[in-house]
Amino acid sequence: MIQLENVSREYGDGKVVYALDHVSLLIAKGERVAVMGPSGSGKSTLLNLVCGLDEPTSGEVKIDGTNIASLDDDRRTRLRREKIGMVFQTFNLLSTLTAQENVALPLRLNGSSKKEADSRAAAMLDKVGLGARVTHRPDQMSGGERQRIAIARALIFQPPVLLADEPTGNLDSKTGEEILALMDGLHREFNTTILMVTHNEEAAEHCDRVIRLRDGKIVSSTTAKEHTTKQ
Amino acid sequence: MLSVLAQITWKQWRQHRLRTALTLLGIALGVAVFFGVRTANLTLLSSLTTTIEKLAGKATLQITGGESGFPEAVWETVKDTPGVRVAQPVIEVIGNTAFADQSSLMIVGVDMLGDRELREYEFDETTTEIADPLVALAQPDSILISRTFADKHNLKDGDKLPLFTSQGRKEFTVRGIFKPQGMGEVFDGQIAVMDVFNAQFVFGRGKNIDRIDLMNEPEVDVLALRQKLRERLPAGVEIDRPASRGTGIEKAISAMSIGATIASFIALLVGVFIIFNTFSISVNQRWKEIGVLRALGVERGNVQRMFLGEAVLMGVIGSALGIFLGYFLAIGAERMLSQIATQLFSQVSTQQPPVFRWDFAVTAFVIGVLSSLIGALMPARGASRLNPILALHNIETRQQEDILGKTRLIAGVVLVIVSMGLIGFAPAKVGMNVQFGYAALLLFGMVLLLPKLTQWIARLLRPLMDRFFGSEGVLAVDTMIQSPRRTSATVGALMVGLMFVFATAAYVRSYQTTVSGWMDRIVNCDLFVAASDQARSRTYHFSEELSLRIAALPGIKRIENVRILFPTYADDSIGMVALDFDGWFERVKNVVEQADENEAREKMVAGEGVMVARNFVERYHLTTGDRLKLATPTVPFDMPIVGVIEDYTSEKGAVFLDRKLYKKYWNDSSVDMIEINLHPGTDRATVKTEVQRLVRGEHRAFVYTNQEYKKWIMDLINGFFALSYMQMAVSIIIAALGIVNALMISVAERKRELGVLRAIGGLRSQIRKMILLEAAAIAIVGVLIGAIAGFLNTWFIVRTMAMMVGGWTIPFSFSPVMVLIALPLAIGIALLAAWLPARKAVNTSVVEAIGYE
Ligand SMILES: Nc1ncnc2c1ncn2[C@@H]1O[C@H](COP(=O)(O)OP(=O)(O)O)[C@@H](O)[C@H]1O
Ligand SMILES: [Mg+2]
Repeated sequence: MIQLENVSREYGDGKVVYALDHVSLLIAKGERVAVMGPSGSGKSTLLNLVCGLDEPTSGEVKIDGTNIASLDDDRRTRLRREKIGMVFQTFNLLSTLTAQENVALPLRLNGSSKKEADSRAAAMLDKVGLGARVTHRPDQMSGGERQRIAIARALIFQPPVLLADEPTGNLDSKTGEEILALMDGLHREFNTTILMVTHNEEAAEHCDRVIRLRDGKIVSSTTAKEHTTKQ
Repeated sequence: MLSVLAQITWKQWRQHRLRTALTLLGIALGVAVFFGVRTANLTLLSSLTTTIEKLAGKATLQITGGESGFPEAVWETVKDTPGVRVAQPVIEVIGNTAFADQSSLMIVGVDMLGDRELREYEFDETTTEIADPLVALAQPDSILISRTFADKHNLKDGDKLPLFTSQGRKEFTVRGIFKPQGMGEVFDGQIAVMDVFNAQFVFGRGKNIDRIDLMNEPEVDVLALRQKLRERLPAGVEIDRPASRGTGIEKAISAMSIGATIASFIALLVGVFIIFNTFSISVNQRWKEIGVLRALGVERGNVQRMFLGEAVLMGVIGSALGIFLGYFLAIGAERMLSQIATQLFSQVSTQQPPVFRWDFAVTAFVIGVLSSLIGALMPARGASRLNPILALHNIETRQQEDILGKTRLIAGVVLVIVSMGLIGFAPAKVGMNVQFGYAALLLFGMVLLLPKLTQWIARLLRPLMDRFFGSEGVLAVDTMIQSPRRTSATVGALMVGLMFVFATAAYVRSYQTTVSGWMDRIVNCDLFVAASDQARSRTYHFSEELSLRIAALPGIKRIENVRILFPTYADDSIGMVALDFDGWFERVKNVVEQADENEAREKMVAGEGVMVARNFVERYHLTTGDRLKLATPTVPFDMPIVGVIEDYTSEKGAVFLDRKLYKKYWNDSSVDMIEINLHPGTDRATVKTEVQRLVRGEHRAFVYTNQEYKKWIMDLINGFFALSYMQMAVSIIIAALGIVNALMISVAERKRELGVLRAIGGLRSQIRKMILLEAAAIAIVGVLIGAIAGFLNTWFIVRTMAMMVGGWTIPFSFSPVMVLIALPLAIGIALLAAWLPARKAVNTSVVEAIGYE
């Protein structure tokens, strides 16, 4: 499903900094992978490369066998729109839009009518437990609720892949747990491939595999079982 | 603490250079217009006064008699008055050369024997032949010219200079060239001197002179002498100190510049919108920074102070820049004003650099800084109220958008209704400032209504955008609806600018339509022969002899001689039209109001009464049956008013009398215009050619057919409104600046939002389309709201301004054509303004735009 071959991402002209240093990785369909590592180790860079927001300086990123670098910006954007849902630590909702309008946004960018987009958005919000709050704006909602909106938005196309960058980072542990439970449920329902950056060991336990990064390199890759036993 | 905050501000400015520059420019333009217009006014006045003083030489008093001049007998009286040391007669004519370019030339007629006592003449070295060129003026063909004029036309001593005079074309001989200083600088050096009695003769003054310049005996008090002269001379002549003759002119000019003052306030108001916009966006963009500052222990008050301090600094820099710009603007504006002054008021000026007045500069400066503060007030308060915890968490917060509140809506509606009521029903004579207050109320009400109106119009636009531009169109409108604060500021800038443009244009059109109808009814001769192509430049006239020769041409049924003057009445300069009324009543029917037309006709033709214009009645409350008293250069004039007619000769009202009466009381038989009526079936163009052939090379005369004359009048009206057009241009430029500013910062502000849109699958082309469509939608909403405000404001102008300034009842008319013209223009500007930021927005990296850590 997702394949990274010898991928590097460098920054700076003079003294080169490797944000990602010759990383190879294969993620199967429906697999859930947690990415862990200290701040600055390259986790977000990895996610940005997978969704095509960033381009590798060398190596190849393939989604379903397609090298993302070979696509032009429009195709890459369409691929992202339809196949990859994204959830951010800071939610990144549009503060002027209601919950429903936020969730409907990708559909409308895809050309759906407002009516159709709204009804699908309402259904999706219902799924994440916000059926009663469709007309509220993000700033009238709690952090957990905002992240639910963001997840609903990410999944509106029922994409095969969900990328989440510290989705619980701004939430208290109880709310974080609820969000993870929600993602588990959606995973069961749609068999979504999940790549999730987290600092939280408990969050990692919701995944099938844990990858640890340090200075742009993968230092370990363990299955969930190994991961728990190691502790 | 504040110095740290100042440092933060400085960093912000450097980071957002373009935004800072556009905001500064917003204030600067407002201040520049305000300062520039006032400076130009003052400069014109000063240049007119300088001109008068230069022409006056050492004279301590000047005696003038309006445009007709006064009989020579007055001169005798003045000379014999004790305390008068020197009294010199003067004729002043703005004539034209008979060279190919027919360039204009100011001709001053002086008495060669005595004039040196008043004026210094310094002759150029080239004059060697004659010991005293002034003495040479005794020869009737002599003329002295300035070096500037001589150089321009390549003239030397002894050369011939042909001029158009009332006697036809006449050749003069240059008998001296004086230096371009003192009097030689006047009228930009286009000046000549000839003998006063010769000038009197060739320019058809009969036995009248235009002016007496006099000097008192040193031991006599000037004011006492003035009083003594007042008692001895007829009421129709005026006695003034040269320096104070400017005040009358000032009145006329300040009437022209009312509009300019309004325009400068409009400019400042748009500046306030720009500041408001910049600061709300700056606050929005810096919420994180504000959160950090608050968390670090900066008090609310200090956050507010930081922003207000920033506003003051912006105001200071912007105003300083504005005063600098305004000074240059004043140069252009002064040129324009002095042209109008020459054309409409026959006032001659001499170019000079703008007069810099500290008090004007300080006022403009203070107003600029205050505007900036007012604009920043609300955003600064918003900033200080921001919740630091929300801001720090880097999650969606926004300022409370309470601007859609019901209270505001109600207050806005109430203000608009109240102002309309005042405009409609309040008494007309409560004073200018109070009446401008109505317009201010209206404007304030509209500003309060802006957010709601914006929302409503945007909702109406929504289905259209959906239909033509799909989901991007709808998204664009939705974004607009959802950020009323940002949208309203932009729309407000457009509204204020366009309101003024629409209302002025509507008024000018309405006025022209009215005048056009009036001309069809009353000024309906077949041909017109005018002595000047300017409205009030009436120092050059025809003689009756010319009109007799024209009357003898074939095809001509009847001619009417017309003399138009602007005498002083009740301290104002009213219009006075003297014409042959027996002819007039032949062609004009059913126009006399408040009297029986036949009776009025009988009295007018017999010279037993006068008629007055409608606005004269309005202004001076005199009507049929009342007696009209006028000061004349001879005996006092006192006649009954026998009728009222519609007329647009002067905004101060006009008086009509038969030429017989005029000749008798004013001692003046010259003619300004010959109106020609043809026999039925005669071709106008043929007769026009005949008349032109008759005058060619002999008289400077302008022959118009009825249609051409009408067009000429319309052009004159346009000329009068030229200042308004300049103001409109300034308003448009400032409104455009408003949209450019608002759209640029609006796109910059939404960097993160646009990044999110792209992250969740928005194509570059879609984002660009959205930004451009939003810009276009804002322009459309702005134009429509501007049209609403303009519509209401037209009512103000028609009801209040026209009545106040001219006493005219101009029918209300508002043409949607202007709005249709403005629409694509505004959309074009908006698209241009949004183009660059849109490109920048889609080309920045999404990762950077989202900027998550
Ligand atoms: N735009 C950039 N310019 C320069 N260096 C960058 C940029 N973005 C990220 N980096 C560097 O790349 C490395 C990895 O960053 P990131 O992937 O954001 O780490 P993480 O998400 O694990 O905290 C860091 O050392 C960071 O400094
Ligand atoms: Mg990160």
